[in-house]
Amino acid sequence: MKDLMQQKLRLTIIGSALAALVFASPALADRIRVITTIPDLADITRQIGKDRVSVESLTLGVRNIHSVQMKPSMVTKLNQADVLVLMGLYLEESFLPGLLDVARNPRISPRGIGYIDTSNGVVPIDVPVSLSRRDGDIHPMGNPHYNLDPMMGKLIAKNIARGLSKAYIEQRPFFMTNLEAYTRELDRLIPEWQQTARPLNGVKFVSYHQGLGYFARRFGMNQFGTMEVRPGIAPTPAHLVQLVRRMKEEKIPLVTYGTFPSRVPERVARETGARLVPVPLYVGGRPGIDTYIELINYLVSNLAKAAGQNE
Amino acid sequence: MCHMRAQSVRVFVCMVILVHVFSVPWVLAEDSVEALKKQLLEMQQNMNKLMTRIDQLEKKKADTNRVTRVEESVKSIQKSPSILNPSIGLAIDATFDHRDKTGGTFSLRAAELGIAAEIDPYARAYAFVTGSDEGVELEEAAMITTSLPYNLTGQGGKFFAAFGRLAQFHQHELPFVNFPISLERMVGGESVAIGTQWSYLFPTPFFMSFTAGGYNKIGEENERVDDAENRSMSRFTYLSRLHSFFDFTETLNLELGATLSYTPRVDFADAVGKGDRSLSGIDLTLRHRPLVPGFYEGTTIAGEMFSNSERFADVGRQISVGGYGYAQVEFNPEILGRWDLGLLLDSAPDIENPARKTTSLSPYITWWPSEFNRLRLQYTYGWDDVREDSGNEGNQIYLQWTTVLGSHTHGFRDRK
Repeated sequence: MKDLMQQKLRLTIIGSALAALVFASPALADRIRVITTIPDLADITRQIGKDRVSVESLTLGVRNIHSVQMKPSMVTKLNQADVLVLMGLYLEESFLPGLLDVARNPRISPRGIGYIDTSNGVVPIDVPVSLSRRDGDIHPMGNPHYNLDPMMGKLIAKNIARGLSKAYIEQRPFFMTNLEAYTRELDRLIPEWQQTARPLNGVKFVSYHQGLGYFARRFGMNQFGTMEVRPGIAPTPAHLVQLVRRMKEEKIPLVTYGTFPSRVPERVARETGARLVPVPLYVGGRPGIDTYIELINYLVSNLAKAAGQNE
Repeated sequence: MCHMRAQSVRVFVCMVILVHVFSVPWVLAEDSVEALKKQLLEMQQNMNKLMTRIDQLEKKKADTNRVTRVEESVKSIQKSPSILNPSIGLAIDATFDHRDKTGGTFSLRAAELGIAAEIDPYARAYAFVTGSDEGVELEEAAMITTSLPYNLTGQGGKFFAAFGRLAQFHQHELPFVNFPISLERMVGGESVAIGTQWSYLFPTPFFMSFTAGGYNKIGEENERVDDAENRSMSRFTYLSRLHSFFDFTETLNLELGATLSYTPRVDFADAVGKGDRSLSGIDLTLRHRPLVPGFYEGTTIAGEMFSNSERFADVGRQISVGGYGYAQVEFNPEILGRWDLGLLLDSAPDIENPARKTTSLSPYITWWPSEFNRLRLQYTYGWDDVREDSGNEGNQIYLQWTTVLGSHTHGFRDRK
């Protein structure tokens, strides 16, 4: 009798817990299905939407965004999405327009209510003065890697919150409350990052691709050059020889590389005596970087440490 | 006594006054220094504040200048009379080939001008006009719906029918220099068709689509059917295709397709009478892409098999089976661009006499100095029993140079 009672009690507790789980959070089917182009946008969307959104990124943080391959599985995800969040400024030009053409989802087309371009309000840097492929695979609207400036992180969050609110107006107070909380968190962290990044002020660096421009501007670093001859044009031996010579003359202390192969950066660092620093350009770009805040934290602390070690 | 006391008081008061008179400058001096120090500190703090404010204003001015430049640029684009023009691009494909039996030649295979634009909220359109050393022709001009409900898409005009995989590629987009002979003989090369086709995307967690179409004929090289003349319903060609895709992992995926095209009645060109034709195909593409880019960038293993059942005037019904397969590995040595190394095997029957075949083996290497510029070298050895083209026998060497200008893209259809 006692055993039976204990069993009933156990079942009741388990059943109640399950019921609480089921009824406390929105059912998966009721969540807003959001597809983002990069993991950073996925993390920030989760901060804004919390348990009211189900978010997936089309790409992983380790992939090179400029050579993402279109897969039919991406078409299915876009077809079934309620909202699409993208960086814009032509960052996703190599794959997103082709996928949207066949996704059969007018809601997330560039005219649709579920289309959120987080570059709204971004004043781009590195805007090309002329549009010619002689200058490589240029981004015609300017440098699109603005996610690496934490001030832009606030703008991204604001655009996502506004976009979600426009598409789901009844949930606007919820999204705006979460936006305020996330913005407060970033406002608390930005001065700390600026303090940690003080050794970076005035530090010159060379990167494989021009991905760190916004980060450099925020924290006072100076881009000395790139290993790519031009954006999207692979290094040539002559270009590397000249770059190494100039780096030695100017005593450039840092070489960075992100989602690009590492053998050329390793060689350049070895020949110039510069410190080689891996800099992931997106969330998930290295193990343990699962959120946008962790990404900025990693970049600031690793680069500052490397710059400090060079002094 | 009183007098002395008064005098003492007087002296005492004088002494007190004297002490105060001579001590005030000291006090005054110390106070002044402290005050000066305080004033200096305040002035320094104010100057720091002013400098910070100047920095902020200069930065704001720079941002405003940048915003102004960007705004001016946007406004000039918006005012431009070409704002509603379609996007335009050009692909140029030039080759040199030399064959044991027929010698060599340079060819301008294609200068392909492509334009594309949204028509309205409901449809988009595109066209490809191709010039070559054989003349100019309209290769494709079609409209595609963009807003139909129920996951439907409709297409009409002249376009590449959804038969198999590589038949839907423009020649310059192929992973190797030429269309496999099996594809040329059995499908007719590029699956050019004038007609309409409709596609449905299943609402499943994995990709699956079904396409159905009706056309005058399918195949650029298919000369057994006249594209231009009027015909009864039984003389059109009908197609159905099932297409699916599976992500096994983040790095490995498989694409599968099965296609059937049926022409109920084919009137013989050089004889009285009629036949019918059923062409089917299965296509498979296995792709591996490592997560982290390095020297090795990926592998593609792909192939198609075709079966053609057709009744001919002189030889009756013939069933022929053929196909191709290729494997390609991609490398990035990080200097001077990307490289692809591949091997193509092709088995092409004579569809009127399937016992005779043309078989070939073709290793090839492709160099991409950039995404828009490509050079390729291919060697082919052919064993040919069909003898429709003596150049198919023996050693063949091909050099190809392909470039793309402007906004030239075939989109999702021609993805690698």
